[in-house]
Amino acid sequence: MTSDILSCALRELRRKKLRSLAVAFSYLITVAVMLLTANLLLFSRYAENEVLAATGTHFVTYLPNCGDITTLSEQEVAELARGIIPAKCQELCKNCTGCNKKAIDILNEGFMINTNTTRLVTLELVDRIRRLATVADASGYLLFRFRDPQSGRLFAVGGFDPKSTAVATTCCSHSDLIAGAFLGSDSSGQVMLEQGYAANLGLKPGDQVVIASESFAVAGIINPGVRPGRADVYMLFADAERVMNRRIRNPLFQEANIILIEAASSKLHEQAMQDVKGLVQSDALVSYGCYVPASQALGLNEKTIWLFLALVGGAAALFAAKTQISSVIERRRQLAVLKAVGWKNSVVIAQVFAEALLLAVSGCIAGALFAWGALQVLPVTSLLGISADVPLILNWQLLLAIVVFAVSSGSFAGLLPALMVVRQNPAEVLRRIQ
Amino acid sequence: MNVLLKVEGLEKTFSTRNSVTEVFKNVSFEISPGEVVVIKGRSGEGKSTMLGILSGLDRQTAGSVVFAGERLESMTVSELAELRAQKIGMIFQSFNLIGSWTALENVEAVLMHRGISPVQRRQKAQAVLHELGLGERLDNYPTELSVGQQQRVAVARTLVNDPLLILADEPTGDVDAETAREVVELLLPRVRNGSAALLVATHGAFDLNYADRVLTLANRCLVAENGRSQDKGVPA
Repeated sequence: MTSDILSCALRELRRKKLRSLAVAFSYLITVAVMLLTANLLLFSRYAENEVLAATGTHFVTYLPNCGDITTLSEQEVAELARGIIPAKCQELCKNCTGCNKKAIDILNEGFMINTNTTRLVTLELVDRIRRLATVADASGYLLFRFRDPQSGRLFAVGGFDPKSTAVATTCCSHSDLIAGAFLGSDSSGQVMLEQGYAANLGLKPGDQVVIASESFAVAGIINPGVRPGRADVYMLFADAERVMNRRIRNPLFQEANIILIEAASSKLHEQAMQDVKGLVQSDALVSYGCYVPASQALGLNEKTIWLFLALVGGAAALFAAKTQISSVIERRRQLAVLKAVGWKNSVVIAQVFAEALLLAVSGCIAGALFAWGALQVLPVTSLLGISADVPLILNWQLLLAIVVFAVSSGSFAGLLPALMVVRQNPAEVLRRIQ
Repeated sequence: MNVLLKVEGLEKTFSTRNSVTEVFKNVSFEISPGEVVVIKGRSGEGKSTMLGILSGLDRQTAGSVVFAGERLESMTVSELAELRAQKIGMIFQSFNLIGSWTALENVEAVLMHRGISPVQRRQKAQAVLHELGLGERLDNYPTELSVGQQQRVAVARTLVNDPLLILADEPTGDVDAETAREVVELLLPRVRNGSAALLVATHGAFDLNYADRVLTLANRCLVAENGRSQDKGVPA
């Protein structure tokens, strides 16, 4: 009986070529669009990571100073200047190593970020942060405010590791270079100047600057924009350590005052901040807030695509159902005749269903093949401007999804016409429709 | 003679939103194998409706129909379909051939879904079409056949399952006299050898000389008009 139903359904579809092609084509388009969109979605994820990397999958952390120095008594300040740490400061110390490494000119100079003075942390803590699963990279950073003894001008010096990816996103990167050369691992004795600072002082690459009695050659001018690790003068970490040691009471030893951090991914950004907070025991986390709306916006895009896919699928199923209903209405008399010659309702329904399913399955297979071919030919990466070796998604899960879609939408398309067949009174149809 | 079809007190009404229309009532008659019975009546008297009920395609409002010892009103839709497939042949005024199917496929349709192998099915359908002179037209679509040929395909479809009862609704209504005669001549042998009975519904186009009995449906009731045997028409 099954073969009879199939052969009858195939015959009907063959004899009504135009109608069959229209329905199968709607499935073809649907599946092709779905597959292409699913693949574009994958590329979109790459784009998302690219965008988020540029907008803030990174952050910095530091320990703010134990308290405002102005809250200390004159005696305590005087003692602190001599390296004697006040008792209440000692109580506040946790990861700090810096109470005995205060600036000699404590009222003007010191370790800082933005306008806040900071404590010091060990590079061992930086290593522990780097090992967190939610963190891709972490780098110790020295940022110290100097006072030029001649002019009295205040300026900030940043000491960084040029190999760190966290530095590139939170401090400065090659793309910030305006003139000259960017510092490399072998650039000891050289500095880069922030564009505005260099303009104020009339400095350019090749000039010399003196910091804490040490002369440095200006290698390049950069414009790092608004970054938390922004400084006026950038130099290698070891150079910074050396010049800063001249301005503090005790020398630094494997220490930094800021930790630059790159999260493992945009999705793990929040978790990374929590993890770091747990290790550092500090609430002073600084991050770029724009990653949140960017992430949300890109997530919204993704949701919109899924909604779009659902709408396309629904529309195709509705179109197929409408066509099947039209077909059943058009064939009311034929179906009534078949009932009159002894075909059972179940057989007529099975045939209507078989036709709907055959169209859905054949259309979906054709759509999958079309999409696969299109993905082979279309320069998707070039179209999106992303250079990534992204594999095509045409795995068994997706194929299973296509089969499920084909069967469910085919069943849906066949359901209403089948119900119409059941409700149809063949005697009435034969009497009324000529 | 055994009774093949026994109709007793048959009544049919159609209910619409505001009214109830009585099509016919209290119709009773019997048909035996080998008989040709004509139900005559004007258009709209309910002849087609009655054939629909007798074939199990429609249900009566009251009364009973007993066919080959089985009470139709107590059968399920599926059982009625089975009954039609095996014991009843139907022939319609406008032939009702399926336009997208060939002559052979139209005839074969009756034998489908009954567990008969495709080869046997095809052979039987071909044999009947050959018998009716359509051996060269097996693969032609209805539109490629003359009216007479189409009617013969319809007859072949009616006869292919060796029915006990042939129900014909205006079988000669749309054809010329010669074709009409041909159609009846094709159906009659099965009836005259006692293997089937023929019940014809007509508004007058059917040649009543072929009829053993003529029943007239008028004013919603069945009355005997002419008969060679006992009729059970109930006067209005």
